[in-house]
Amino acid sequence: MSKGNHAALLITLGSVLFAAAFLYFFYAWPEKIGPEQPIPFSHNVHSGIKEIQCQYCHPYVAYSNFPGIPPVEKCLHCHNYIIANFPWIRKEHAYFNDNRPTPWIKVNVIAEHAFFNHQRHINSRVACEECHGEVKHLQRLPEKIWRMGQCLECHHKKKASVDCWLTCHN
Amino acid sequence: MNRRTFLKLAGLGSVSFAAGCSPESPKHLYSLVQAPENMVTGKATWYASTCRECPAGCGVIAKNREGRVVKLEGNPLHPLNRGKLCMRGQAALQAVYNPDRLQSPLLRETDGFTPIGFEQAGTILKKKTWEAARKGSNRVRLLTETVGESQMELFRTALRNWDSQDPVVFEPYAYEALKTANRDVFGVDGLVSYRMDQADVLLSFGAEFLETWLSPVEYAWKFKAMHATRGAEKGVFFLVSPLQTLTGANADHWLSCAPGSEAVVALGLVRQMLDIQRGRRLPPTLRQALLKATDFYSQETVLRLSGIPMEAYERLVVRLAEAKLPLVLGSGSGLSDENGLRTNLAANLLNLILDPNLKLIDAGHRHRVETAGRRAEVLDFFKALSAGGADLLILNNVNPAFSLPPESGVAAALKASGLFVVSFSNFLDETSRLSDLILPVKLPLETWDDYSGWSTVVSTLQPTMGALSGSPHLGDLFLEAGFESQPPAPNFKTYVARRLQTERRIANELEWLRALQQGGVFPAAGQAPAAMSMAVPEQLPAALADPYSPAPAAGLAFAAVPSLRLFDGRGANKPWLCEIPDAICRIAWQSPVRMHPDTARARGLKSADIVQIRSREGRIEAPVYVTETIHPSLLAMETGQGHSAYGRYAEKAGANPFALLPAATDPACGGASTYLAAVAMEATGRRIQLANTDGSRTQHGRAFILTATIDELLKGGRPARTGLTMDTFPLTLPLPEGYDPKRDFYPPHDHDHYRWAMVVDLDRCIGCGACAAACYAENNVGIVGESRIVQGREMAWLEIVRYHDERRMQRVMFMPMLCQHCDNAPCESVCPVYAPHHSAEGLNNQIYNRCIGTRFCSQNCPYKVRRFNWFDWEWPEPMNQQLNPDVTVRSKGVMEKCSFCVQRIKEARTRAKNENRPIREGEVTPACVQTCPTDALVFGNLMDKDSRVRRLCEDPRAYQAMGYLNTKPAVIYLKKVLHEV
Repeated sequence: MSKGNHAALLITLGSVLFAAAFLYFFYAWPEKIGPEQPIPFSHNVHSGIKEIQCQYCHPYVAYSNFPGIPPVEKCLHCHNYIIANFPWIRKEHAYFNDNRPTPWIKVNVIAEHAFFNHQRHINSRVACEECHGEVKHLQRLPEKIWRMGQCLECHHKKKASVDCWLTCHN
Repeated sequence: MNRRTFLKLAGLGSVSFAAGCSPESPKHLYSLVQAPENMVTGKATWYASTCRECPAGCGVIAKNREGRVVKLEGNPLHPLNRGKLCMRGQAALQAVYNPDRLQSPLLRETDGFTPIGFEQAGTILKKKTWEAARKGSNRVRLLTETVGESQMELFRTALRNWDSQDPVVFEPYAYEALKTANRDVFGVDGLVSYRMDQADVLLSFGAEFLETWLSPVEYAWKFKAMHATRGAEKGVFFLVSPLQTLTGANADHWLSCAPGSEAVVALGLVRQMLDIQRGRRLPPTLRQALLKATDFYSQETVLRLSGIPMEAYERLVVRLAEAKLPLVLGSGSGLSDENGLRTNLAANLLNLILDPNLKLIDAGHRHRVETAGRRAEVLDFFKALSAGGADLLILNNVNPAFSLPPESGVAAALKASGLFVVSFSNFLDETSRLSDLILPVKLPLETWDDYSGWSTVVSTLQPTMGALSGSPHLGDLFLEAGFESQPPAPNFKTYVARRLQTERRIANELEWLRALQQGGVFPAAGQAPAAMSMAVPEQLPAALADPYSPAPAAGLAFAAVPSLRLFDGRGANKPWLCEIPDAICRIAWQSPVRMHPDTARARGLKSADIVQIRSREGRIEAPVYVTETIHPSLLAMETGQGHSAYGRYAEKAGANPFALLPAATDPACGGASTYLAAVAMEATGRRIQLANTDGSRTQHGRAFILTATIDELLKGGRPARTGLTMDTFPLTLPLPEGYDPKRDFYPPHDHDHYRWAMVVDLDRCIGCGACAAACYAENNVGIVGESRIVQGREMAWLEIVRYHDERRMQRVMFMPMLCQHCDNAPCESVCPVYAPHHSAEGLNNQIYNRCIGTRFCSQNCPYKVRRFNWFDWEWPEPMNQQLNPDVTVRSKGVMEKCSFCVQRIKEARTRAKNENRPIREGEVTPACVQTCPTDALVFGNLMDKDSRVRRLCEDPRAYQAMGYLNTKPAVIYLKKVLHEV
């Protein structure tokens, strides 16, 4: 075996390993980190450490299909007093002062032809965590693409309606 | 290609296919900066307002979702329309979200229009008005559409400040003949309303009260109150006219008279009634004068001039004489000439003769459109402008350059030297195109105002949505421009509230808020307004002094009739109204000219041949539509199309029949006519493909629309039917009890608590198509345009099907056709992927994301109600903001159809579940049911034995369309009831 062959083999092995490692970290790393948000909001701090109820920021969850996300002013209800000068909070202040919405990145994605009804689930005593997981341990929420199978699994288990139109689609 | 390359490419293909299947990349989720109080994301807020699509002034409630109005419904508290809305009212949204709506003011400069800012435009308006005012008296003129009293008062005050005269109100259909007749016979110089609901015999000489005449939604429910079958009772409606419009198609007896001879028949009837000693309570002088004046109209003369068969005429005379409480309505709104005036005078006299107490004439409730100026006045207005009579002309939402005959000199007047024209139009239409400054103002759904369709009610307007542009409110603009010193109110909202308080229509601030919340101040039910006194004249109306006979028929006459869909043309830029086909011809986007088969045969013409129609004033080309609903010597065309400017939907569609008309007005009433006694017509040798949506004009003997006579109903009961043929197949409800092992291949469906069903009373359906428009709005149904309709690709989930009676082709019948939600659905059994799916509550679900587009279901559907998406239909910005967020927008390649508004069922279920109870009767109303002006549609749960739908299934008139196919439809029709011919 000549010296040249060794080098070629090493380079090949190296690139294969690199590619495998890249693919593993890119696609198959067990814990996914969510997209970067305009403000590094931490569910862990708010929901976990400070034990703020989910409904404080997502107030419509029991009344509407949509839980609602907090308006900019709601963040400032507290953050006018708490770490008001922290750079990221000042960014939130800037959004408020310029009358601009915060451009959060959506992490819970559901196909357009499916209509998820939050109030039906909450009022049927399905806890937030059953679908959204323990967000109180997470900093950045990972992106979650909801699939019909996930819905059906639970609906079958709980003997809930699986009628196409009357339940999800229309 | 070798095998290796093929495999590589195939692999690449499947990878990209798989990649294409993942959901779209995540989008932004924008938070509000400040949340409005009580706003809940995903929940609608309803605002009460008033419809301003025509001068009727119906109450509306607007559904606002996340700041955008997405649907209009009638205001159930409003006494005028009682929760119902017509097609044009439904389409008001498409003006707000119209892609051709002007986003900024346009100022004319040497090389066309330049966009400027709203503030600058306001400054120019103020500067120009005061400059003109300083030049002398009456240098500022204002032409407006019919507006509410507050706006009118502000106009008058501002004009007075500018030392100028009151505004002129312009409506293309201004009812001059009717107003004159009311003045001369009832002593009421205006437009009274009619208690049509109490009549037992109705006679009309062409008044199209179900389409555009005065207040169509109001008269639709009133008409059905007298005309729907109640046991053995059913009012009878006679029409004397050379043409059946939609209203005419609802007549029990159509007496087709020669064009121009309505007055002869009407005066003949006056004479007949006097001859049988009716009208003895008339003032003796009037009675004598009438006898003398009607000497000419002997029965023989009437029959000769009108061409009505004696038997039909005598039946009319007998029914009218025997009637307990008859009501006679005059001519169509387009007819304000010598014929129209005499017809209306005679109609009013007939009312007076037949019921001296005038119980059905309601002079207390006056229609607001009575404020419209007479045509002669409008023409004088333009003549004065041409002669340099003003320096500034303000146009408020009028389009005279389109809707007045070319000879009226509108264009010349607008171009008069030294005249600066300001138009408040939101669209670049024929008139605003000739203006110097186009200043778009907020549309009625975005503004504060009040508009009382009836003089007795207060009906308020409030913004129903957030602002789409920075356009100002019209009232605010006038408060700013019209006062040199302090304006009387800081803004128009305050101005309206103060005026209502001054007029004592509301007492205080709280009542104002309550009025806004309810949509107005309405008299409590049963609280009749103080009766207006009517003064019956002693003298014969001057116009009746000389005998009238129509010009002898020479060739063809022509009538331009107001359109149910486009009215006088203002609807032509709203794609729903263009796409929903017209009631009689079932043709969309085009403006056919109607012609009798005899005339067509004599001239060798067929439907879709293009003809040229010429008058002294102009010429137009239009395709022929051959129909029995018109007199052989008349051609008729609907107004509204043929715009040369008015946005992408209106331009280059159809022809404008106003172009044929002369500008002359009738000296007696100052009105104009849209009727021409003689036109020339020539074939051009060209043909087009008609964009019609009807497969056939007749049913070919099949059982879609069934009819019954009163006598048949009186015989009682439905005969027991057990056979398998068309005539013997039993009514089979889509319930387990409808299962018969001898007939059925599949087992019955089990339904959980609910089996949704609809009952359609064909006896109440007038074919107005309001349901279809509501469906387009609610369900995000795509607009496909003329060329695709020609290919048969229209998307309407609910369509009014029109059939002619094969025994009497001039009889037209209507039927709302929608998915029948069959229990034995032919679509379900042929789909290879189970995309049509039978739900637990009986709905036939179409699973869009499962559908692969084989179209087998559509092929197998006997009702032809399934629609295939050949393309991704477009909603050009900002029309997409109107889309209902609760309904999926379907994409290319999938089948769709009526869902019984499943989103509304789900909403009701959510409410019921939260309250831990079953869904109540009447809690679910699909959009079509909600808006039907005559309550022809009923929706409910068939499993509930006490529900209205279940009880109506017991009606002897109940049947299922083509039920003999054993499809077990959940749409149950009730037969149309015919009067004996």
